[in-house]
Amino acid sequence: MPRSDGLSPFQCSKIDNMADVARLNLSEKGAEARLRSLMEDVIEFHKGVYPQSRLALAVWFGGSDGSVQNLLELYSGLPGQGSFTDPVRFSLLWKTGSQNPPFVEVSAGSVEYFLQLLASGDQAVRRFFHKPDVLYFDKELLSDPILKSFNIVTEPPGLLKGWYVDADQAKARTVRDLLSSWGGSKPQLGLVKTWESPDFENCRGLIHFEINQRWLPLSLAGLRNFTFFNDLQAGKPGFFLFRGGSFYQPLKFEEKTEPAYSNLVLQRSSDDRYPEVYLRSVRPSEKPAA
Amino acid sequence: MTDTLKSICDQCVHLKNPQLDFIPSDFARHREILTRDLRELTSAAACENEKTVVILAGGILEGILYSFIQGQSAYISERRGTFEFKPDHSLQNYLNIFNRWLNHLVPSVVLPDSVVYYRDLVHINHEINSQPGVCTGASREMLRILDALLGGLSELVVPVYPEILR
Repeated sequence: MPRSDGLSPFQCSKIDNMADVARLNLSEKGAEARLRSLMEDVIEFHKGVYPQSRLALAVWFGGSDGSVQNLLELYSGLPGQGSFTDPVRFSLLWKTGSQNPPFVEVSAGSVEYFLQLLASGDQAVRRFFHKPDVLYFDKELLSDPILKSFNIVTEPPGLLKGWYVDADQAKARTVRDLLSSWGGSKPQLGLVKTWESPDFENCRGLIHFEINQRWLPLSLAGLRNFTFFNDLQAGKPGFFLFRGGSFYQPLKFEEKTEPAYSNLVLQRSSDDRYPEVYLRSVRPSEKPAA
Repeated sequence: MTDTLKSICDQCVHLKNPQLDFIPSDFARHREILTRDLRELTSAAACENEKTVVILAGGILEGILYSFIQGQSAYISERRGTFEFKPDHSLQNYLNIFNRWLNHLVPSVVLPDSVVYYRDLVHINHEINSQPGVCTGASREMLRILDALLGGLSELVVPVYPEILR
């Protein structure tokens, strides 16, 4: 019996149940959710609109009331942009060729220009901070002042970023050598410390990874995919090297129920269970493999 | 010395015996391509070809997300309000869509942004600017992540054939 709802031709109880839940939510906030998805479709289209520049930020501002929605778009590397473009208004149902409401009015400018306005405290940017709702951002293209001004938080306070270095890679090399080789590359993982001994010799913490541009803690199941976890389980030595030169040897992972840790991370674990790593500091002068 | 690719692959039951029932039956070509690529991936792993494993695993991951998202477009649309599948999206886009709209269905699966970074190691400039031995770790992580994803998706979907329903 073929399905008539357009879903895949499989029975999938989880998906069906979740769809019911989604329907309930949509009945409550349906109009805003639909507006949001229409706005996101515009943004998706605009990601490829300029061949030489990239969309860095899209903010829905001014609230969702009324028939005209307001959208700020900032592009990176937009040449000759010393001002915002005149707002462009069109129907959010543009894909169907409709000219009817709801409408969106897009104000576009360059990241660099926006940064100048922010730095000089120009009043022209004030309206963008009225009920701002960030629908899209690319943090690689935005500097801290813009991220902070729109309250875009991508990492928890105190996050250390670094890499896993296995024993073979660390062999006969000092921390300084390792840092000169690893330091220029993109960090693989992060650590938020949950405890540190007074002599700084030992600490515990939560391992983080970047997921959709945000640094989030991993569950124990998630950690199992990573080499450092499997090496440790197999009794193979390895190390965490962090920017700035901190160098630690993981000793063990222990999963704990700690509701208080939700204050240390950007996304709380649904069951307040967190895998905590126990670390021993390796001194910079120490040969890691020794 | 970290685990060999072959030994990891031997433990990855979903890579060795993939259940692709999460791909709709009318996507026969999708299944054919993924089945072939998975076979080539296990061969490359058996030969300890790290770079090949990284790139191929990245391509397979993209193929799985492409097929799964395309197959569940109506479901995403129901949750989101509207959704149109774009076949020319980037792996990062598919990852974002999966993490935002579908990940709750397979909560044990974690797809970090690093998988995109690893897949992009196909560009030599990207590898030059990465830490030494990046493919050693990346190949192992990609195998395990792919295995976890296939495992999660295979548990999610129970196929029901028309004959049984009649």
